[in-house]
Amino acid sequence: MDVSASLAISSSALQAQRLRMDVIAANLANAESTRTPEGGPYKRRDVVLESLSGGSFEDIMGSAAGGAVRVSRVVADEKPPRVVFDPGHPDADAKGYVSYPNVNPITEMVDLMAATRAYEANVAAVNATKRVLEAALSIGRA
Amino acid sequence: MEIKDITNFPNVAGLGGPEALGRTTQKEDKPGGFADVLEKSLGEVNQMQQKADAAITALATGEKVSLHETMIAMEQADVSFRLMMQVRNKIVEAYQEILRMQV
Repeated sequence: MDVSASLAISSSALQAQRLRMDVIAANLANAESTRTPEGGPYKRRDVVLESLSGGSFEDIMGSAAGGAVRVSRVVADEKPPRVVFDPGHPDADAKGYVSYPNVNPITEMVDLMAATRAYEANVAAVNATKRVLEAALSIGRA
Repeated sequence: MEIKDITNFPNVAGLGGPEALGRTTQKEDKPGGFADVLEKSLGEVNQMQQKADAAITALATGEKVSLHETMIAMEQADVSFRLMMQVRNKIVEAYQEILRMQV
């Protein structure tokens, strides 16, 4: 059904934005985590979004997957950790410095707002699709 | 009195456009006839409803489905059901129009 194509695209975008919000929530939750299974402090994570539009014009116009988006990778931010002098901390090094995650809560909050707004924009697209379908169904109803 | 399925009546079963008026010799059970199309689209509507049902069940039982996917499945089921209702209304309207015909 042709109808489901735009809904499938919007659905993929909603999925991607949800995952982005999950990653941001993890960043905020681990803003003070000084130890991880891999060792060292938590590293801030970021999503890489990828368009699934196929190569040719026909691919993009013809398939439901054309124009859809997905999260291709979740990458770690390799910026240096925030170093704080705190000799009493169990994770302090020999000189008494503790490496805290390279997470800036302000950046994360702004990213969270952007993700929320993007999600809402896609919900608006779904609702617009539905309104168009309802308008089409009302043809001939006088 | 025996109550028969309406499609068993020879005059009703062939609501298939000009063919039904006896201008051609095609039978009413030819593939791609109106009854087939109707049955196929009814099956599609039913499939949408079942998909939405499955999504709701999966969400309620805590399986890993997202809320928006469930909502979109429900919307699709809703729209396809309403399309089917419109088609039904048109068919009933046409049928009643024929019933009102003066003989």
